[in-house]
Amino acid sequence: MRVRNTGLTGVRRSLPYAALVIACAFALIPIYWTLNTSLKLEGDIGAYPPKWIPDPPTIEHYVNIVRSSSLPRNYMNSIILAIGTILLVLVLGVHAGYAAARFEFRGKNAILFLMLSTVMIPGIVTLIPQYFLAVQLGLYDRFIALFLVFGAWQVPTVVWIMSGFFRSIPRELDESSLVDGSNRIGAFYRVIMPLSWPGIASAAIVVFVWVWNEFIIALNLTASQSTRPLTVGVFFFVGETGIEWGKMTAAAIVGLIPVIVAFIFLQRRFVSGLTAGAMKG
Amino acid sequence: MTVGQASLPYSRSAVKGRSKSHALFPWLLMAPSVLLVLLVTVLPIVQAVSLSLRETFFLEQGQFIGADHYKRFFADPSGHRNIVTTLVFAAGSIALTFPLAIGLALLLSRDFPGRAVVRTLLILPWVVSQLLGALMWQWVLSPNIGAIAYWLGKFVGGRVDILGTTNTAMAGMIVANVWRTYPYAMILTLAAIVTVPQDLYEAAKVDGANARQRFFSITFPLIRPTLLIALIILTVNAINMIELPLILTGGGPIDVTDLLGLRVYREAFVLQNFGFASAIAIVMFGMNALMSIAYIRVLRSEA
Repeated sequence: MRVRNTGLTGVRRSLPYAALVIACAFALIPIYWTLNTSLKLEGDIGAYPPKWIPDPPTIEHYVNIVRSSSLPRNYMNSIILAIGTILLVLVLGVHAGYAAARFEFRGKNAILFLMLSTVMIPGIVTLIPQYFLAVQLGLYDRFIALFLVFGAWQVPTVVWIMSGFFRSIPRELDESSLVDGSNRIGAFYRVIMPLSWPGIASAAIVVFVWVWNEFIIALNLTASQSTRPLTVGVFFFVGETGIEWGKMTAAAIVGLIPVIVAFIFLQRRFVSGLTAGAMKG
Repeated sequence: MTVGQASLPYSRSAVKGRSKSHALFPWLLMAPSVLLVLLVTVLPIVQAVSLSLRETFFLEQGQFIGADHYKRFFADPSGHRNIVTTLVFAAGSIALTFPLAIGLALLLSRDFPGRAVVRTLLILPWVVSQLLGALMWQWVLSPNIGAIAYWLGKFVGGRVDILGTTNTAMAGMIVANVWRTYPYAMILTLAAIVTVPQDLYEAAKVDGANARQRFFSITFPLIRPTLLIALIILTVNAINMIELPLILTGGGPIDVTDLLGLRVYREAFVLQNFGFASAIAIVMFGMNALMSIAYIRVLRSEA
């Protein structure tokens, strides 16, 4: 009886671990399988039964896409888009977030509500007129159109993250620096901004991951390899490559690396930025 | 006396000037962000409504035709199809995502060796882009090279083409969506669980409540607002989905996975029926607006 009991509790104790192991397997299988396929020899990829590890492994697919595809160019474009969008939304959103956190003025709640509710708009609704506008204004297939559209989508998130962050900085700090003779904007730049880097970093990583991963907007506002970001590049590459699984999976892994690296090193910032949008306080 | 009288208007105007600059300063800080959102997001919605009421020929806008595009969409069986597949996709995704996310969040809220690593691994799918996630699921379910297709094939005996079979394509697409979205619900739930005061559990234990009772009488009511927010965000996310059907099935086989988002995308950017596409997009927006209203109600009742 006693033995049976401990046996049962043993099983009950290990059940959570078993569940977590299965969940981790679910989370990792698609990523692992893509990596695995990308490192196999072309002849091994379709083997039946499949090879669970690449044996022998090869980097020929990676060499191939670096040497003879437009993906390196797409990569550069994604970096340009990420940096440009991050700079734009931080410059705008940090100031607006400060105003939202520190001042009471007429229409503030209405404005914040309007900005935040844009999060609920399906991107495709605005994309059609944005496409029209971009063509009419001569911005189609140019980075500037993507900066503006990406910026408009991400600025509300940044305002939200930053205003939450500024509220956590004591008001007395602004006030004491005002007494010292700084004007309001000077107080903000000299006293509050230097304390805000953790919040700014959280906002930046959330925006980076969003821009790096964005696909549908970029697909329809770009037309040439000189502006297409990596997601769009991979989409066309896969479409044109057909059944060369090795090259396609290698392209996907190359596209995945920056966000995975950023996520692993900045996980806490990423999670706090992500939850800031949905949790109060 | 004279001094007092003279100083009164002076100090008044000073106060007035100060409060005026007070009101102007935050507006100056806000204005660029607000302008960007108004010009690039809000204005296009107005234009989308206008387009949806007009005849269009490629990029040319023709005459005003009222609600004709909407009537055509709702009168057409393919329109019903789009709405039904979208609702099935959203409901299926939510029904699988939330039990999984809440269960994992409960497990992760306890301390055990290796918890940080497990948490990192479990969040990972959320940072994978919609596009790459879709491609990865296409490969893992591929009857030619896929690991999961191989296992399922062993299980049922024979080759399995989940995404190419009418009965299973939607299920495959839902699983791929759950894979990418459960981490979001899990992180939010975990963040909410951590804020539940421990002494509530202690008190309940003293009263003899078991784990299930503790969950339903303490944890669940306290994390409910967070769950609702995640619920609505992920529902909107599912209603707006384009990438998964675009990559995995192209809407097929036949039309069993032809979601609203894919239909809008196809009508607009493949067939160039921008007016008609705008009308369907506005219908989609309406479905989202209903969810947004619920979202805002939750936030309000919480405040």
